[in-house]
Amino acid sequence: MNFPESNMLLQPPSLEDVHHRHTPPPLAEPLLLFEHVSKWYGPVLAMNQVTLELNGGITGLVGANGAGKSTLLRMANGQLKPTLGRVRVRGIDAWHWHARRLVGYCPDADAFYEDHSGRKFVWTMARLCGFDRSESTWRTEAVLERVGMAERADRKLRGYSKGMRQRIKLAQALLHDPELLILDEPLSGIDPIGRQELLEVFRSLASQGKCLLISSHELEALEKLTNHVVIMARGRIAAVGTLQQIRDLLDNHPVSVRIEVGCPRELARLLLAMQEVIAVEVDRPARPGGESISLVVKAHHPKRFFERFGELVIEEQMDVHRLEPLDESAHAILGYLLGGSGKT
Amino acid sequence: MHNLIQLESITRTFGAFTALHDITLALPPGRVGLLGPNGAGKSTLLKILMGLIPPSSGSGRVLEESLGGDRDSQGNWRLRRLIGFMPETDALVPGLSGIEYVALAGELYGMPRREAQRRAHEVLSYLELEEARYRRVEEYSMGMKQRVKLAQALVHDPPVLLLDEPTSGLDPAGRDAMLRLVRTLGTDHGKSVLLSTHLLADVEAVCERVVILAGGRICHQGLVRDLCERRQDRFRLRVQGDTAGFREGLLANGVALLADEDGDWRVAVPSGWANLSFFQLATTNRVVIRSLVRDDETLEELFLRTVGV
Amino acid sequence: MQAQTDTLLRYRPWRGTFRGPLSASFAMARASVKLLLRRRLMWGLFALGLLVFLFFFYAQYLAVWIPNQLTSSDTLRVGVVPVKVNDLTKLLERLSLNGSVHTFGNFFWFQGYVLIIVLALAGSVLVGNDFFHGSLPFYLSKPIGRWHYVLGKCLAIGFFVNLMTTLPALFLWLQAGLLYDWKTYYVDNLDLLAGILGYGLVLTSVLSLLAVTTAILVRQTVPMVMIWMGVFVLLRMMSNWLVDGLNQPAEWKLLDLWNDLYLCGLWCLGAAPETIRPQPQPEFWQAWATIAGVCLACMLYLRKRIQAVDIVS
Repeated sequence: MNFPESNMLLQPPSLEDVHHRHTPPPLAEPLLLFEHVSKWYGPVLAMNQVTLELNGGITGLVGANGAGKSTLLRMANGQLKPTLGRVRVRGIDAWHWHARRLVGYCPDADAFYEDHSGRKFVWTMARLCGFDRSESTWRTEAVLERVGMAERADRKLRGYSKGMRQRIKLAQALLHDPELLILDEPLSGIDPIGRQELLEVFRSLASQGKCLLISSHELEALEKLTNHVVIMARGRIAAVGTLQQIRDLLDNHPVSVRIEVGCPRELARLLLAMQEVIAVEVDRPARPGGESISLVVKAHHPKRFFERFGELVIEEQMDVHRLEPLDESAHAILGYLLGGSGKT
Repeated sequence: MHNLIQLESITRTFGAFTALHDITLALPPGRVGLLGPNGAGKSTLLKILMGLIPPSSGSGRVLEESLGGDRDSQGNWRLRRLIGFMPETDALVPGLSGIEYVALAGELYGMPRREAQRRAHEVLSYLELEEARYRRVEEYSMGMKQRVKLAQALVHDPPVLLLDEPTSGLDPAGRDAMLRLVRTLGTDHGKSVLLSTHLLADVEAVCERVVILAGGRICHQGLVRDLCERRQDRFRLRVQGDTAGFREGLLANGVALLADEDGDWRVAVPSGWANLSFFQLATTNRVVIRSLVRDDETLEELFLRTVGV
Repeated sequence: MQAQTDTLLRYRPWRGTFRGPLSASFAMARASVKLLLRRRLMWGLFALGLLVFLFFFYAQYLAVWIPNQLTSSDTLRVGVVPVKVNDLTKLLERLSLNGSVHTFGNFFWFQGYVLIIVLALAGSVLVGNDFFHGSLPFYLSKPIGRWHYVLGKCLAIGFFVNLMTTLPALFLWLQAGLLYDWKTYYVDNLDLLAGILGYGLVLTSVLSLLAVTTAILVRQTVPMVMIWMGVFVLLRMMSNWLVDGLNQPAEWKLLDLWNDLYLCGLWCLGAAPETIRPQPQPEFWQAWATIAGVCLACMLYLRKRIQAVDIVS
């Protein structure tokens, strides 16, 4: 990568300053655009007619192993060329090196020079990006600060925990201050504290206007970070949107909702009278020691159901302890979309 | 009946560094989650429990076998026979087929050869690796690798299973399946499970008890449901629609909005609050309540509270 | 008989008596041998080893046949190339293919070249892989000691060492008996049989220990081959150069480990020191001491390394 402004710099400015001196790309173009992209590895079809547009914020990428997530991420970063279709970053072909200055990539593999310190590694990466020595140095310091590794960056990579490695990888992806950050499985194997800190870093990056595309198996963590997900299955994009939107589209799977109220059997009668409700089940206490028995209601047309339920509560002056959709989590949705077989 | 784990002021030092400080612990048989950030002493504790390193001071037992002594002593062999260990690393022997690998594990545990082979078939069938058992282990998918690792820990039918990050690298479906398996082994087949992991949701799905280590000390241990705080005045809310009016309505009624995680709200209600008011406010402001759950402390919050960020 | 049903897919308990850790070592050795036999390269090396054996086998036969059938002035035709019988018998004599001490000594010596590569491969496949792929926790979490692990691996490597050296040497011994007067040969040369077994034992123990050690040290096949070449070829060249070229004392020959093993083997076979070629050679006891030192160093290193392995991260 080559930055035309890199040799004009005398004073180390902040990353943002430099960023604004880019000739701003036409903002009308979407940040990341996949147009009918297919990809074969030999006879293996890894990606089938994928169309996707991203413009900002944090997007989660979920799917089973082998669903094509890594392929998608690598294509967005221009490491792979689509067999059919086009991948564009702000209107530039992702395969072209111009596009790469807009994209930062954080791989899932831990391929490090184990004897280097974190600082030295990031600095080397900065040199590889084409920055001269002094610029590499201040950029290294800036990104290390940004991921919260500035004080810990002098240790050898060999002794790093997974969380620290992840941050170093993130730091090198941020070196050229890209608009789009692509992170492949950044949360795997990190202890809860490290994860919490990493999520904080992601949030702050997003609030600084970066677009993050994060693949992860850890749906609970991902759900905390974002509601907007791309679900892949068998090389296709099975769903895009917020979890709730996606859930509402899955009309053939009625929502199940756990309801705890003071008078469950009374409510069960009223619920059965509703058109949307197709089944009501009286359940044992939600957990041992739970105060009341609960109902598990299955209903079509979730939006209408929740509206009607709200009205019912007010009409009957009911005391609702709990209203919990059981299958609105990314986990449940993924299960439905993949056919629920659980086999990968 | 022996306790699963009984430790009396176990301390372990490595040179000047103290990895475990004065650990005293009594756990009845059951499913236990072992949590802790990196460097908390988890792996040292696991090694002591497997008799691979002796404690520097203190005593303890796992079921009926006492800890301590050289790792290659008779007592520690008996101890390790009680435990089926599933390592975190790949730990496969490339070149062997699934069935050979599991049978080898059985023989290493001391089972007679034919018995080990028979039992390997049995365990692999149980873990749904029946079709794959003659294939080489290095060709397995991630989910199959984890299951064959569980199989090698289960081959000699040990009373204790020690699982180190059993769900790492698995996708959500595979993870579900693995957790279900482990749970069933505990509930239906009487295995004690010691689950060491970074994924707190795994512990919630499998374990009744949890032990949280930090800085070489136990900072919390007990039943999961007792440790997490019950919070009567806190709720998680999810609403659909134009939420601005609803939000103002809540604030006007003295409800504090603690967090807004992308449409997921966490609120604290004033005393004397009736949940009916949520619905009334929602109707007047034309939004729909999709979810209303009491915001009890999750294991993750407990962990972060006790271990501290 | 009573009717009964059984779910196939259910967990079944297992009760039985466990055996000691020694049987675990044997199981490990068995699995390791299986692993190596699945390598195609291994079979290629076997073929090479077999070739050396067949050469000795037929040469020993020829050594008897030629003097009986031809006079020394005859010329044989191998294809179109005329070969003087004299040259041929000279070569055979040089290898002393007469069922004596040096027949077997030479056989072991020549088999060494193939053996080095076999050992490098075996070491990296059996031991190096365990370290490289993190399989060590799999073994060490079992109710066995560290030395049972080493023993299991050594047994497997020893199996291959014997398969390539001792076993064919025994065949040569049997063959020699059949070529000469078998009634007297077998009885007269029982000490040779013991010597062959002794040589095999020395080779097995030293080489398997050394293979395991170097495998733990470098782990991968190619560096393993390089190290073994270094030990056996480079050190030999150096020792020869020192002793023959610079006229240093014969003790420098001790640097050549394969030569040390050869000397120990010849001691087992009962060879007279002055018949050993090339001269000069160090004393037998010096060779023994060197071998013992190498073994001790290996053991110490193994002890240290296996102790330090972390089985839970």
